[in-house]
Amino acid sequence: MLPVATASAIQATPHARTNRPNLVSVGTIVWLSSELMFFAALFAMFFTIRSVIIGQEGHHAWPGAELDLPLSAFNTTILVLSSVTCQMGVFKAEAGKVGRDGGLLNVKRWGLREWYVLTFLMGAYFVAGQCFEYYNLVTKDGLTLSSSPYGSVFYLTTGFHGLHVTGGLIAFLFVLGRTYAAKRWTHEQATSAIVVSYYWHFVDVVWIGLFGVIYLLDL
Amino acid sequence: MRVQAFMFYGCAIFFLVTDVVYWLWSKDWTGTTALALSVGLAGLIGFYIHFTVRRLEKANEGPLYEDDPQGEIVQAAGEVGFFSPHSWWPLFVAASAACITLGFIFGWWLVVFGVAATLMSCIGLVFEYYRGHFQH
Repeated sequence: MLPVATASAIQATPHARTNRPNLVSVGTIVWLSSELMFFAALFAMFFTIRSVIIGQEGHHAWPGAELDLPLSAFNTTILVLSSVTCQMGVFKAEAGKVGRDGGLLNVKRWGLREWYVLTFLMGAYFVAGQCFEYYNLVTKDGLTLSSSPYGSVFYLTTGFHGLHVTGGLIAFLFVLGRTYAAKRWTHEQATSAIVVSYYWHFVDVVWIGLFGVIYLLDL
Repeated sequence: MRVQAFMFYGCAIFFLVTDVVYWLWSKDWTGTTALALSVGLAGLIGFYIHFTVRRLEKANEGPLYEDDPQGEIVQAAGEVGFFSPHSWWPLFVAASAACITLGFIFGWWLVVFGVAATLMSCIGLVFEYYRGHFQH
């Protein structure tokens, strides 16, 4: 009997070919570059309004409120460290180690799940810290989105970044959900873990820039 | 891919030079920051493609077919990746995201509804191939 022509044509490999870039990873990086332009608009808004109103008093004061630098610096440290824990998770994902094979406190035996849960908690701490900072600014300093130009700039820049962090947290939950839903750990699940880490590092780096201009530039 | 990486590097260098000249002439923070981030725009893609091509060349033990002047189209044959053959979820994601945007105009109650709908449709999209007959 002649070999069926379609039989050999659908020999799907379980892994992506090694001589071809991963489309999801490259696509994520291209998208992150465009996200950089989104934040460029926020930075542009920040510097434009700053250059217009800086040096004025009262309603148009710049900065329009006393920012809590120690709180925010601690928050920033947590966010930067969460990038480290995220990368640890990526190393485990690349090694194919999904869950831990030791006790919960035995950090060396942790898998992707434990590192990503820790990253999630640190990211959630960052968002909570930012909400606490907003609460203080609104109740004590009366700084709101519509109270002054500085208020608009402050809440738009930090708020859009906070929304990005929140989106990243949801993405972490999706990746964690996939580790439980997938029948077996393949290249595809590792890819989703890796691209979420790209996004997380990106959000982290953007925050370092925002922290620099919002909290340190006008000291 | 090597060529593409250096094309993006070229754009990054162009933006860098423009940025320095712009700053020296204008001392304007806004444009300088925007141009500096444009360096990132091109540089990030260039760096990532360069990083990827180096890794792939190592795995391939030689230049990739795209970079080979004697390369044949057939060398690019094979699996490209996983593509959903049909999915309704992107439509639901878009519709619920539209709900959020319309909520800014018509009322905050619609935003609350839209956020919940977006979360649910995202779950549907992300886990579509993780349940049922075609489970991964």
